[in-house]
Amino acid sequence: MSSLTQGPPEALVTNPTSERQDTVRERKRRGSIRPTLAPWAFLAPAIVLFVLFLVIPIGYAIYLSFVGLRVDGGAFGKRTQVFVGFENYVSYLTNPEFIASFGRLALFGFIAVPLTLGLALLFALLLDLPGVKATRFARTAIFLPYAVPGVIATLLWGFMYLPTTSPFNYALNAIGLPDFDFLSSNSIYGSLANIAIWAAVGFNMIILYTALRSIPAEIYEAAKLDGAPEWRIAWHIKIPLLAPALLLTLLFSLIGTLQAYGEPMTLRTLSSSISYSFFPLMKIYRDAFGTDDVSGAAAASVVMALGTLLISILLLRVLQRRTFDNAR
Amino acid sequence: MTRKSFRIFATAGAAVAALALSSCSGSAADDGPVTLEYWTWAPAIPEVAEQWNAENPDIQVKVVEAAGADDIVAKLLAAQRAGEGPDIVAAEYQKLPNLVVSDAGLDISEYITDDLRDDFTDATWNLTTVGDGVYAVPQDTGPMVFLYRADLFEQYGLEVPTTWDEYAALAAQVREVAPDSYLGGYPDDTSTLAAYAQPLGAQWWSTDGDAWEVGIDDVETQRVADFWQPLVRDDVVDTTHFFTPEWNTMMNDGTLLSWTAGVWAPGTIESVAPDTAGKWRIAKMPSWDGETTAGLMGGSSAMVSKTSEHPEEAVKFLEWLNGGEGSILLAEGGLFPASIEGQESLSSLPVPAIVEGQDDFWTVAADIASDTAPVTWGPNVQVAFDAWSDSIKSVVASGGEFTDALTATQDATVADLKKTGFTVK
Repeated sequence: MSSLTQGPPEALVTNPTSERQDTVRERKRRGSIRPTLAPWAFLAPAIVLFVLFLVIPIGYAIYLSFVGLRVDGGAFGKRTQVFVGFENYVSYLTNPEFIASFGRLALFGFIAVPLTLGLALLFALLLDLPGVKATRFARTAIFLPYAVPGVIATLLWGFMYLPTTSPFNYALNAIGLPDFDFLSSNSIYGSLANIAIWAAVGFNMIILYTALRSIPAEIYEAAKLDGAPEWRIAWHIKIPLLAPALLLTLLFSLIGTLQAYGEPMTLRTLSSSISYSFFPLMKIYRDAFGTDDVSGAAAASVVMALGTLLISILLLRVLQRRTFDNAR
Repeated sequence: MTRKSFRIFATAGAAVAALALSSCSGSAADDGPVTLEYWTWAPAIPEVAEQWNAENPDIQVKVVEAAGADDIVAKLLAAQRAGEGPDIVAAEYQKLPNLVVSDAGLDISEYITDDLRDDFTDATWNLTTVGDGVYAVPQDTGPMVFLYRADLFEQYGLEVPTTWDEYAALAAQVREVAPDSYLGGYPDDTSTLAAYAQPLGAQWWSTDGDAWEVGIDDVETQRVADFWQPLVRDDVVDTTHFFTPEWNTMMNDGTLLSWTAGVWAPGTIESVAPDTAGKWRIAKMPSWDGETTAGLMGGSSAMVSKTSEHPEEAVKFLEWLNGGEGSILLAEGGLFPASIEGQESLSSLPVPAIVEGQDDFWTVAADIASDTAPVTWGPNVQVAFDAWSDSIKSVVASGGEFTDALTATQDATVADLKKTGFTVK
């Protein structure tokens, strides 16, 4: 997050040619090579960590995605690792269960993402209204669910969904209505999305609210002098100026949706509507650690990572240019 | 790159290499007492192993509760690929062929003494024999029993069913006399489905020379699927998956009147529905055509790991643990032992609290255990298990045919075998 809010790194801004000339000149003057070494020394720890914990694991995953365990013959032959080329990719991209899991994920995302952003925007705008009381308390209260660990939040909601322990069903029964099955195969998407929304609204609200607070007050004054009511100020001034922050939260929400795993995995023990391969990441986990198809899982992970990257780039390319050009 | 900066990179590279190497080094063999590491989830093992340790200073056993039955395979394979791993590991019977083709188990035939061989029936040894080798010592077993609420059966005037036809009629009767209750649930769990089909002679996996034959979608299992479909469609049986909090509640408050499961079921109910202690009884599971054999659900063995440096000592310990003396201790600890001597010792034990009052509990259980269907599991059981439980749930939700879920399971299992390189007939 911080890397997105900071300005571009110094190195990209400075003209590389002029810098090189500078250092060459400087080196001649001092007769030392130290200045060229110092940056490397400072970078070394980061590079080592980057290589150790990012480049090597990613490289290993890509390597794994091109090999597979194949039997060397016989009914009880031993499985050995062989190069299989793109076979893992082909079998995943044509696997109906893997494709269906993306369909379910999309359904979940269509409910969760707009509602999360909509509610976050609504809360941020309400908190930003002049004369609103107890903003600090309200802000903390809305943000608080984000601080609850995902598994705890899911269990908490899970017990509120379970017919026997659900306070909602208790309330429904009290007014003479029948039970509602929150965990049935149709309502499960709403129930899952509800947990995700509950946890994420506060975080997104804080980003949007912070962006709102940084808008100069003179703009509102001008609008007020022209007699604009608060909702017109919100619609015509605040929301357009919030576009970059909204884009950022949209990106976070989409990536978060693609990574949805904890909620369905935890609810799976409570509901029979959630299969082992309900969402893509669940299928990947199952293949890697349940059916011992690490290579297939690696291939699917690479597909997921490339997909996430593609969505991020497209979103930033298409939308960022428009919003940031307008903002300028 | 200058010389000095190269040195920085070289140092970093060496650090990486050192880290990588340190994680690979295995433990060297010691001369003194041998310590065996034993991964298991079974409850009684740590106490029983302590007794062994006290009596056998030369072979010490360190019990590690590494993971549950579902995760232990992945954990074992990961550890072995990293050059580590335990000496002995608990393996469910249905996971054993998978572990063998993954090259995780050791063929212990050469260490098995005649005494050890005589400790188990041939049918039990069959469960740990994979291809030409024996890869594990049997530990506990799970012949199917019909566990029912005796108090509620009496209250509603119900008779214990002896055939599945009677079961279906009884299930409908329960919905009439107690509309909020169910006789039991349908087999969305694959091991239950398998145990229902085994007495009919279903062979889900079998070998013919070097080729595998998959019979999940055979007439026997189709009959089981066709039996349950109308019961589910007419809301005569419950569709809550067992072990969910919802199911636990229903077992506790009397909504569910019976559960057909492995003989370990009373112990399970004791933890999920303790309030019902003393109200349950077991009977033989219903038969299809009057056959006497029971299916098997669950049960596990102790496998000697490929990476073990002391297989002989490991088998020696396992012979004591699962064969004679140890198996009696395991029985006292709550396991239903696989050994003949262990099962005979059961009659002297108090009956589990959940079936208190059924004095012939152990006799009934041992009688059922003495006649179980022969079972051969395949190398990709998990694929089939996941496929059935996933597809049957979607079939129930969409109102499709149960046998379609069976075909989907068969297809997924065959496709996975072929993909791995097996010949499938």
